[in-house]
Amino acid sequence: MEACEIEFLAEDSIVTVLPNFSENKIYLISGDVGPFNPSMPTDLPLWLAIDLKQRQKCRIQPPKWMNVETLQELKQAENDSALFCPMPDPHYIEITQLLMNCAAEDIPHADEIKTLIKDIADLRMAKLKKSMDGMIKEKATNARLDNLSMMEINLIRPLLTQALDQSYRLQCLQDEQLQLAGTE
Amino acid sequence: MSYPEASPSTPQLFSTLKKDNYFDLDDIIVCQEKVTCTFQSTVHRLGYIDPGSNKEDIQEDAKMELPYWLAKALCTRKRKIVSIEYPNVYRSSYLQILAADANVVDLHKWGPSYYRLGEKLFNFEHDESRPLAEGLLQAFISRFRKVMDSSQNAQYQDTYQLTEKLDEIERKIFKSTRQNVEDFERWQVGKSNQLSTSEAILSHRKRKHTDDNVS
Repeated sequence: MEACEIEFLAEDSIVTVLPNFSENKIYLISGDVGPFNPSMPTDLPLWLAIDLKQRQKCRIQPPKWMNVETLQELKQAENDSALFCPMPDPHYIEITQLLMNCAAEDIPHADEIKTLIKDIADLRMAKLKKSMDGMIKEKATNARLDNLSMMEINLIRPLLTQALDQSYRLQCLQDEQLQLAGTE
Repeated sequence: MSYPEASPSTPQLFSTLKKDNYFDLDDIIVCQEKVTCTFQSTVHRLGYIDPGSNKEDIQEDAKMELPYWLAKALCTRKRKIVSIEYPNVYRSSYLQILAADANVVDLHKWGPSYYRLGEKLFNFEHDESRPLAEGLLQAFISRFRKVMDSSQNAQYQDTYQLTEKLDEIERKIFKSTRQNVEDFERWQVGKSNQLSTSEAILSHRKRKHTDDNVS
């Protein structure tokens, strides 16, 4: 899977916008949106919100978790915990990137938030690498990794699956040798 | 992170692991690798196989380098025409080098597909198969860290130096990880949704009108 495909999936998440125009309900295959009234908060899929924003038809309200305090707490929690903390949104990396690119002026402290998200992502990636190394060293053939986001899973997919595959093959051969030795 | 109990490996799995894969090109290449064989009985009228002798028959005790696929057919439990020796790089002296520090070993030099041929050697009954199984697994485990780090952190530079000493399987892992990381980095700077002109078009020169063409 490519990063832009995951971005495409992330664009289905719902955000709240404040439109500056009136319009009746729009009937879309994925669901109905609207009606739109000026300054009435409306829930939209992210892709539509971005499109409206680019045509300057609305202001996007940042998601609840996208503020400096929440993210700082999250970063601290991530730093303290040995396990992965649950993220507020499974697409947190993609949503931040999309919103920063087109609606940075609607988000208070956008720069700070961008840095915080990057820090959290880096922290988690470092943790992930460490656990992957541990996993191969422990000769584990499978492991539980909870609370990973889709982007993070995708980043390690080719590496981990192939390496585990190969280590499992070699392990099977070793097991067989041990079993043979046992029967003799 | 927790490691749930792995299901114990079963005899059926061993046999599927060891089977040669008819449609796998890499597998076919591995099967060409030479193994040293000693003939256990005289084979009549096949002396021409051995370029080093001009006799009509292959003598008992004759030593010959045969490709793995032939050796496998000649050395089975039922029919033992030849006995095989492991290639040098799978013998204990080399395994000791691997055990000492697997990271500095140039596995590609030892055999481009070191692990895969190693796996295949378990089709033969051999005294040294147990240390070999342990050695291969340990080597892969201790080299994994290097493969992981170099593939995740390499910048857009020539990766030849990094992959030079890797076995084919490790190179495959390196390559796919590299592609994945590059794709992610391209996405991060917003380049993945930009269309660009293909190289072929850029380097394509328009045919110029010459005076001959105009007339």
